[in-house]
Amino acid sequence: MASFVALGIFTGLIYSMVALGYTLVYGVLKLINFAHSEVLMSGGFAGYFFLHVAMKTTTASTSERVLILIGAIVASGLAGAIVATAIERFAYRPLRRRNAPKLTYLISAIGASYFLLNFAGKEFGRNPTATAQPITSNVSISVLGAQISAFDLVLLGVTAVLFYAVNTLVSHSKVGRSIRAVAQDAETASLMGVNVNSTIASTFAIGGFMGGVAGLFIGMSTTVDYNMGFTPALLAFTAAVLGGIGNIRGAMAGGVVLGICMYVPIYWLHQPYLEPVIGFAILVLVLMIRPTGLFGESLGRSA
Amino acid sequence: MSEPSRLKRLRLDGDDLRLALTCFAGGVLLALMTGPEGNITDPTYSFRNALFSSHVWGFLIFGVLLAMASVYRRKVRMGVVSRNRETPRRTIRVTMTSVIASPSWPLRVATAVVALLAALLIADFTGPFVAHKFSVHVMLHQLVYTRTYGYVFIIFWLLNTVRVNLTPRSNRGVPSILTTTSAKLVAGAVGGFFFALCADSWLPPRFSFAYFTFTGNSDRAFLSHWTTYLWMLAGLFVGLRAVRAERTKSKMDLVSRWKRPHVKVTADTRFALYGAALFVAVEAPKFLSPFWQQSLFTQIGIYCLLAVGLNVVVGFAGLLDLGYVAFYALGAYTNAYFTGALPIHPPFLLNAFFSIPIAILVCMIAGVILGLPTLRLRGDYLAIVTLGFGEIVYVLASNLNNVTDGAGGTGTSGSFSMHIFGIHWALAGQAIGDDLNFYYLLLAFLVPIIFLFYSLNNSKVGRSWAAIREDEVAAASLGINSLKYKVMAFAIGASTSGVGGVLASAKLGALFPSDFALQVSILVLVLVIFGGMGSIMGVLIGAAFVGWFTQFLIFHSFIDYQDADKFMYLGAILILTMIFRPQGMLPSKRRLREFHDSEAGLGSADAMGAAAEGPLS
Repeated sequence: MASFVALGIFTGLIYSMVALGYTLVYGVLKLINFAHSEVLMSGGFAGYFFLHVAMKTTTASTSERVLILIGAIVASGLAGAIVATAIERFAYRPLRRRNAPKLTYLISAIGASYFLLNFAGKEFGRNPTATAQPITSNVSISVLGAQISAFDLVLLGVTAVLFYAVNTLVSHSKVGRSIRAVAQDAETASLMGVNVNSTIASTFAIGGFMGGVAGLFIGMSTTVDYNMGFTPALLAFTAAVLGGIGNIRGAMAGGVVLGICMYVPIYWLHQPYLEPVIGFAILVLVLMIRPTGLFGESLGRSA
Repeated sequence: MSEPSRLKRLRLDGDDLRLALTCFAGGVLLALMTGPEGNITDPTYSFRNALFSSHVWGFLIFGVLLAMASVYRRKVRMGVVSRNRETPRRTIRVTMTSVIASPSWPLRVATAVVALLAALLIADFTGPFVAHKFSVHVMLHQLVYTRTYGYVFIIFWLLNTVRVNLTPRSNRGVPSILTTTSAKLVAGAVGGFFFALCADSWLPPRFSFAYFTFTGNSDRAFLSHWTTYLWMLAGLFVGLRAVRAERTKSKMDLVSRWKRPHVKVTADTRFALYGAALFVAVEAPKFLSPFWQQSLFTQIGIYCLLAVGLNVVVGFAGLLDLGYVAFYALGAYTNAYFTGALPIHPPFLLNAFFSIPIAILVCMIAGVILGLPTLRLRGDYLAIVTLGFGEIVYVLASNLNNVTDGAGGTGTSGSFSMHIFGIHWALAGQAIGDDLNFYYLLLAFLVPIIFLFYSLNNSKVGRSWAAIREDEVAAASLGINSLKYKVMAFAIGASTSGVGGVLASAKLGALFPSDFALQVSILVLVLVIFGGMGSIMGVLIGAAFVGWFTQFLIFHSFIDYQDADKFMYLGAILILTMIFRPQGMLPSKRRLREFHDSEAGLGSADAMGAAAEGPLS
């Protein structure tokens, strides 16, 4: 039981990183970014290639492994940021310039998602492959009967650092101020001298960085695959709605709560494939009972 | 205007470079897209392979040419290069004769050499794909093929056209007798002929006489293809148009001669058109080759049915349903259950005809259960909830082994049969000879459904959908219960998909969860979006075109095409359609106007807002 809760928490951390991307974009554009799953996928592939190259040439001393891990995090985050910005540039901005109806954004995002997904499938092959592991330590600590591995601890640390960074960025920096301004009222913000286009692009980039890092961790814990982003992104969207979409702290909490809610029932059901089914049921329940999520939805107020 | 000053003005600025880079990147992307399938365990495999195969160079050259052309066009638009300073635009007419008769022979030779090289490259990369074939030997081998010469002539023609345009008129020395009517006609026909040389090898053999008479290399028997004559005829027609246009202009009668008269389509005409379409739909398939019969009957027919159903959700109501295939799966598994193909047994076995109403009911209930909580909220929640639902149905179908037989597939589901009043008619499932029967069965469902939806769209319900799309708040203030109509559209779409599922299950026999993956939803979405959301005829034509195109790509692979790549191209179609023509290829008038209005800030063109609250009456 405790191990399932721990599993839920650590999977939830990954979801909350992804959910952040949904939440930021939703806050700014009032749109669900359907192509976010491909940000995950690109982060996973970037991490795979980085580790593939770096682990080949190194004979694994601890400090080198730490450096490689940091490099992989940066590489996958950057890949995610680049892909997210490209999605904004090619699938959203031409429509935004034209003041197109919302339906067209969703369709073009779905198109972008499918294009990137199958493009990766074509360029890198369609079979799942395991990533090289920079974290080989077998150290694990036992908390209330749950075994927490070194991988989980690294994940926890990385998530904490990234969330702290993003939170600070959004609430205390100039970019963050313009993001919040655009989220509240894009037109007024542009009158006040905020460059709306570059603000939206940087929002995508921040969300994309988090998504890319999440992709790296998904790749390290399971396999890398052209279709790896789909289910986690769907569940992460659930997490974002659970925490209140548009709410940064809500996204973090939503991911963890979702993770626990998903894995605890599996403890009784013994059917791991039910994970997305439970997540989906939670999504529908949240939408029925409390569509504003646990913590309310506003980027402007709560960040 | 002298040459140097023109060149001086042709200075490139940042925007030009950006444009050029974009075009070049487009070429690179095309090259990567059409390159060989990759291999993840050797990550550099596909890039390396792609860079050393000839078609990549072809696409790179294409990218460079595209960049040059677009920069040039931009310059012309901005007025930096004025083509018409001394010789007004309309006096420049480049015909075959003026090109061939232009005086400077060294330039002509140089042009011909460039044309030859370019043609060899193009011929090389439009030929069958072979990795690592960019070699002199292989390129020279292209000299054997007739279409290479077609390319040579076309490129020569284009290059000379540009050159003649740039040369001052006095130097051109065009013999006057050759610019006459006959010269234009000949030029048109010859152009058509050369195009035929190139196009021949792309066309499916089905469209050539060689299909009946020859069994050789069609590339060398091009004169036996009726397409050759067709293209020559088209060229002749173009020449004729040019002559007539000139005559019209010379008469200075610019008013109404070539203006298309306004054709009023009366109800009678429309009825006759529909009758003709139905006649073609019934009769034409009998004359197709077995391959196209099969792909038409098993795929395009079902696509049409699904697309018409999704059109109600996306086109009529302005919602986005990404889990459309889930209802298709529900319908298919309902039929499998009631015909005893699943491990769980039904209380009584049914003919597939009788599982249709049950499937409609099941899908409608599922649609209402999904739609009711979701559509109360913002419209985009429906998209993601349906996406999730599609995935859930897929996961359950693959894993619930004791209900659906899991990924291994079900037993053979029962099929359609009729034995009433002495009429005996049955569909034996997978037998290929049954394709025609299945097609007519499909048609028997499709035609009433089309009429039903058409009249639904013209009824109070359709008007309510339009009102909700265009201004939800105003619609609500006039007493339209938008939640009710949105749920209605969603449930109607779902049940159509369910009917499609029952029909498909009878044809497929055993059901595999992979037949119901999310990709099918996206495919149907592409059919609707590409054809034109909201217009039934557009959606049908979109379905026919995309269905044909995906089959076409498999057998005419001048690119390395795997079936799974289909979705890459379909995704690109979605983005491009949304950017350049969101109303689709054959839009409905009302939808078109809505898109324009919405872009001008008047109303919306979708139902993505929160539904006005109200009891579901």
